[in-house]
Amino acid sequence: MVFECKMFGMERLRGKCYLDWRDRKLSWVPVAAGFCLLVLCLAVTPARAASFTASLDNDTLTLGQSATLSLTFEGGQPKNVPTPSVAGLQFSQAGTSQNVSWVNGAMSSTVTVAFSVTPQRAGEFAIPAMSVDVDGQPLTSQPLSLKVVQPGAASTAQIDSGSQIAFMKLTFPEGRVYAGEVVTANLQIYLRDDVRNFGNFQFTATPADGFTLGKMSEGQAQRAQIGSRVYTVMPVAIALTATRTGTLSLGPLTANLTLVIASPNQPNDPFFRQFGMRDPFGNFGEDQKQVSLATETVNVQSLPLPAENVPSNFNGAIGEYTMAVTAGPTNVAVGDPITVHIQISGRGDLGALTLPEQPAWHDFTVYPPTAKVATTDPLGLQGAKTFEEIVAPQNTDVHELPPFSFSYFDPDAGSYRTLTEPSVALAVRSAGTPAVPTVAAAQTAAAENPTPPADILPIKDEPGALATAGPPLVTRPAFLAVQALPVLAFLAAFVWRKRTDHLANNPRLRRERAVAALIASGMDDLKKYAAENKPDEFFATLFRLLQEQLGERLDCPASAITENVIDEHPVLRGAPKTTLDGLRELFQLCNQARYAPVRGTGELNSVAAQFEKVISQLQELKA
Amino acid sequence: MKFQSCSSERQFAPTQVTNEPTHVGCYKIFTLLFALVCAGNLFAADATADFNAANKLYAEGKFAAAAGAYEKILQSGTVSTALYFNYGDAEFKLGRLGRAIAAYRRAELLAPRDDEVRANLDFVRKQVAGPVWSESRWEQWLGTLTLNEWTVLAAGAFWLAFSLFAVRQVRPVWRSRLRGLTAGVVGLTVFLCAGLGAVAAMHFSQPTAVVVEPEATARSGPFAEAQDVFQVHDGAELAVLDHRDHWWQVTDGSGRIGWLPAKQVEILPGA
Repeated sequence: MVFECKMFGMERLRGKCYLDWRDRKLSWVPVAAGFCLLVLCLAVTPARAASFTASLDNDTLTLGQSATLSLTFEGGQPKNVPTPSVAGLQFSQAGTSQNVSWVNGAMSSTVTVAFSVTPQRAGEFAIPAMSVDVDGQPLTSQPLSLKVVQPGAASTAQIDSGSQIAFMKLTFPEGRVYAGEVVTANLQIYLRDDVRNFGNFQFTATPADGFTLGKMSEGQAQRAQIGSRVYTVMPVAIALTATRTGTLSLGPLTANLTLVIASPNQPNDPFFRQFGMRDPFGNFGEDQKQVSLATETVNVQSLPLPAENVPSNFNGAIGEYTMAVTAGPTNVAVGDPITVHIQISGRGDLGALTLPEQPAWHDFTVYPPTAKVATTDPLGLQGAKTFEEIVAPQNTDVHELPPFSFSYFDPDAGSYRTLTEPSVALAVRSAGTPAVPTVAAAQTAAAENPTPPADILPIKDEPGALATAGPPLVTRPAFLAVQALPVLAFLAAFVWRKRTDHLANNPRLRRERAVAALIASGMDDLKKYAAENKPDEFFATLFRLLQEQLGERLDCPASAITENVIDEHPVLRGAPKTTLDGLRELFQLCNQARYAPVRGTGELNSVAAQFEKVISQLQELKA
Repeated sequence: MKFQSCSSERQFAPTQVTNEPTHVGCYKIFTLLFALVCAGNLFAADATADFNAANKLYAEGKFAAAAGAYEKILQSGTVSTALYFNYGDAEFKLGRLGRAIAAYRRAELLAPRDDEVRANLDFVRKQVAGPVWSESRWEQWLGTLTLNEWTVLAAGAFWLAFSLFAVRQVRPVWRSRLRGLTAGVVGLTVFLCAGLGAVAAMHFSQPTAVVVEPEATARSGPFAEAQDVFQVHDGAELAVLDHRDHWWQVTDGSGRIGWLPAKQVEILPGA
């Protein structure tokens, strides 16, 4: 904009401004020259036909890897490049780049739109031809093919040769499992010694037939010599629950991993090698490599639980457990709650543990228990599950909480086991009987109950303030309407204040109102004097009222008003003739009254009426 | 005063035909007011007698009969903190945790600072299997006053603020003297109105469903044939998301959403 102004407005510049432009003109020379050169080059550049090509940086991928699809537009600007859509492939835009080159006076521009292609499954895929509008010209790319293969487990020979930069092994310590048992599988990730770092480990497939996968836990890394190479071994424990009997299988587990490895060029730099030295800058030469790893499939035999010697209260718990039971309070009324804490500790699927039915507790109302699991290992297989169960005795014949028993299947021993806690003595009274006060001698018994007394507080004896149920105040229209009162009061006060201030700041208005009030009361006086036939008082009042009204209209003191103002004052010159005549007549009547005061009531009334008419005309007169 | 104007209107309105002398009309109004006061007293006396009878049943261990008696008083439209509290106790003794929690929560709505209500509610909540209802500290703080208490306080501050505004208009010379007081009252009004707004929002837009059946199955849609989503037990308190016909859409706080039949839950206002 500034440039245009200077260039095209300079011939109109004169004098100082012109000199100013002259002072600065040298700085515009390169700009103008560049602009001209650019225009010239554009003019001489031959128009080239636009082209559109599509390419993949890698046409064969292992599942888990990604490729880059580049759509290249040469000699034109593409519009609305569509995102390809192929079932089984996920496309995400990776960016757009533009490259302008100038060779021998010929300028060419290339626009590249890149997509990241991530396969969702193995197979052969065809990326169809795409049609894109390039500078108004529809162009079509060639179709592409992409092959995606499943990652395979490394063979023993490959591992022993040390050619594998990374691989995984899956092992299963138990030769057999029981249906419902929780077991642990071990996955080991091997990284060759030239791997400097790794990251982005992500499972791409965890097929498990007959197992449900639980938590995973990474262990301490170790080093192992395999063949001629040393590997770092990363152990990962996986919790599995066998869901059925028969042959169960796990794997092949597949995963993606990004490795940081030493760049092969740097350590073999001939300059340092001739001196038998390692490249001191080798640490800076690192390459990243994404690899896909896979394990073999592992099969395990799953056995059913023995059908013999199954305890009556067995409810599916498998593992190795111990149990502790506490209950309190033990001195209660019928219907009062007793809190029973049952803690089951050990190894197994703690989350799935449930309390078995206790048929011996038939004299109690049993409420659904709450449970809390506290695990001590990362896989969540070891720890304790604490149940809090509320029971309430139903009658006073109850003297104890019967023994609590819990059965489980021990997979190591291959047999069922039953844990039993002894009964807890109770003192149950009728519901209306108050509890016996605690005396010093009873403190020993109380100390035997570690669980603090827990019960609802008794009912209230008094009904309190009885009220009729109703909607909240805030929703009642009457209540809301009442809230308008203070607002209205404020508005009234505000308006009153404005009017008062306006009056106080306007003496003419104040006088106008005062005179209007005086005239109103004076009219009553005139009528009274006329009725009482008091001409002196009548005309004295009349004259004073005329002075006050004219003084207010003419904005001058009332005492200065005489008959002469009717002809002399400029404001009254614009008044109607009838008004002026009426005023003269009234003044003359007042003057005559001094000399001929005797008049009748009727005449005074007519004068009063005439006064009222003239005053009303006068009040309409613009002051 | 009102009656005098009434009689004077009749005196100066000859077209208004009436067969009753003025004092008869006034007498009728007096009688009506007296009857209303007596009815109120009788109503309170009846409710108190019923309440005491229900308490007696409870003391005798007849919890079902006691619960029925409390419920009958409540169904007559009479409410009080003690009534809901005792009803909750009776329901708890019957093992109906959900109904007990609902009763205690209704008592808490009337008397949020009643320690006994709070203690029993907390105790019963601990017996419930499944998700436990928890309030944020902010909600607990707002809940220390009832919605009506917030309303009255906010309205009082509102009246005071506008009264001060009006006084400042009527007596401008007092403006400088009232400046600090006015600013304080305006600040208090804004604070109380904000609190009222928050409590009202909780009350009206965040209702809770309390499960009153031993077990209830939340379904994926508001119909009996819909797929099971999750199960809840008696006393579970769930946030209500939607309502359709006789179904309530609820969430258990862990992200699970399902529909429960209206007969299996009791709906309570949020605060």
